[in-house]
Amino acid sequence: MTRHLAPPRMDRRQLLKLGLGAGAAGLLPLAGLEATTVPTRAHIVILGGGAAGMAMANRLAMRLSGARITVVEPREIHHYQPGWTLVACGVWHPDRTLRSNADFMPRGIDWIRQPAVGVDAEQRRVSLADGSIAEYDYLVVATGLQLNYHLIDGMSPELIGSHGIGSVYASLEGATRTRDAIDEWLARGSGQGLFTAAPTPVKCAGAPLKMTFTTLSRIKDTGRRDAFRLDYLTPGEAMFSQPWVDDFLKRRFDDEGVQRRHHYRLSAIDPGARQAEFTFVGPASEFTSHHELRQAEFGREGEMTEVIDYDFIHVVPPMSAPDVIRESDLIAREGPFRGEWLDTDIHTLQHNRYPEVFGIGDVIGAPINKTAASVKAQAPVVEANLLAQLQGQALPARHNGYTSCPLITDIGKAMLVEFGYDNDMAFLPSFSFIDPKEESWVAWVLKDYLLQPAYYAMLEGRV
Amino acid sequence: MNFTLSGILAVLSHAIPPFLPLILALLALLVIAQLLGRLRGYRFTAYRCVPATIVALLAGLSTLWWLPQLTGSRLAFVATATDWAALVAAALGVALLTWLVLHPLSYLVRGPRRY
Repeated sequence: MTRHLAPPRMDRRQLLKLGLGAGAAGLLPLAGLEATTVPTRAHIVILGGGAAGMAMANRLAMRLSGARITVVEPREIHHYQPGWTLVACGVWHPDRTLRSNADFMPRGIDWIRQPAVGVDAEQRRVSLADGSIAEYDYLVVATGLQLNYHLIDGMSPELIGSHGIGSVYASLEGATRTRDAIDEWLARGSGQGLFTAAPTPVKCAGAPLKMTFTTLSRIKDTGRRDAFRLDYLTPGEAMFSQPWVDDFLKRRFDDEGVQRRHHYRLSAIDPGARQAEFTFVGPASEFTSHHELRQAEFGREGEMTEVIDYDFIHVVPPMSAPDVIRESDLIAREGPFRGEWLDTDIHTLQHNRYPEVFGIGDVIGAPINKTAASVKAQAPVVEANLLAQLQGQALPARHNGYTSCPLITDIGKAMLVEFGYDNDMAFLPSFSFIDPKEESWVAWVLKDYLLQPAYYAMLEGRV
Repeated sequence: MNFTLSGILAVLSHAIPPFLPLILALLALLVIAQLLGRLRGYRFTAYRCVPATIVALLAGLSTLWWLPQLTGSRLAFVATATDWAALVAAALGVALLTWLVLHPLSYLVRGPRRY
């Protein structure tokens, strides 16, 4: 099923890139281009070919010689998911987020185009949808996460785009239909909009806020701001894990007349009646500790519910690791991520019980950092630690929780927020000329034009 | 998250290709205008054209309006020192490019004059 690494072949696009890079390569110190390879006969299976899986496939293909590397990824199309908020607010055409996975898959990799349906960590085996088995020596879990719309009574992804329901997370089609639902609401000329947040860790935690800000921006452009009411309903007391950003958001929402409603969890929706039911989740459920509000306990949080009419609602579903991980030995068994997320050391990204297993990306049990920027920071850590594990050495690299959120505060300006596990924004900004606490046109231009190329370079393992 | 020089080049290898036709067209325009002018005796130190300079300045100034629009934004959102530095640099670039194209072209149209 797998084969050894073969010499790479280049298509015209890759040749062009190589030419552009080679032109300036002479300016670089040679040491910057050197990368020692590690000889091994190990079989490494990477579960998932999204941002994290693809970055790891390319990095490992460059650093290992003689290894067998298998990527388990059923999708042919790669979605640039950070662009979906721009699709949903009408700034980007949906096609701008699409690329072929084959553009990024390194040569010599065995690409299994079917989903994994089970993992037996004791036997080091991955079960595939066709009944076959992939055995591994090392496993990189990069499955991404699962959207649990079914935990909201009456809600399903198929409803997005109808009955005033939007949800940017569901898919590219979902983002596009969310745009259409917002268009329809704006065409009505007035009404009530509800923007929700989820009671679990979510990928791109800024997306619900971006959807609120961009919709507000479009409403203001209609010249009828007073005819629209916007409510932001969130399960926790905080709106964002980083305290400075949280304070900023609260002030901005208050200034803009966006009603903040804390301790509200979307529990049910009646599309026909355009009504949403929210359950009061209690002041103990802070945003940063909301994983304590466990899915199994959703039904017995309390008796307090409130039904609110809406003309448009943006739904953010509860999220978890995919079922294939939740039902495996790899899931966390204790602590705040038990039963929901991959059991990894949040610094070394090595599995807490299976040292030959590493996790990267949205699937890991970590309080923050489910973003593409996090993957960019995690990939070198997993690469270094997996190679050390493979050679029987101590793990040398630690992830500091770096994550970034290009927080769009209006269509045309953004803040490039960066922080880590310490939540203190003490990181040297990636771009020293951009203050992460200032709304900026340049930050918007970066989001609109440069972060996508940076993302693709990350997939190729080059940044 | 910091980018190395090789990382920046990797990012540019994805960022530039969509704009390559535009960049090449502008470069071709510049080279052709300069080449044609110089073949007919144009030297920018020995020829003056006030209208070309005025048009170049206006083109540069107009950048302050259309560049934010082109990026889906607006001038009101150009707020930080970095924003203004980037926008002014772009305006200067547009003004310079416009002048470097129009100046030799005006020479070709008007013929050699002292100023």
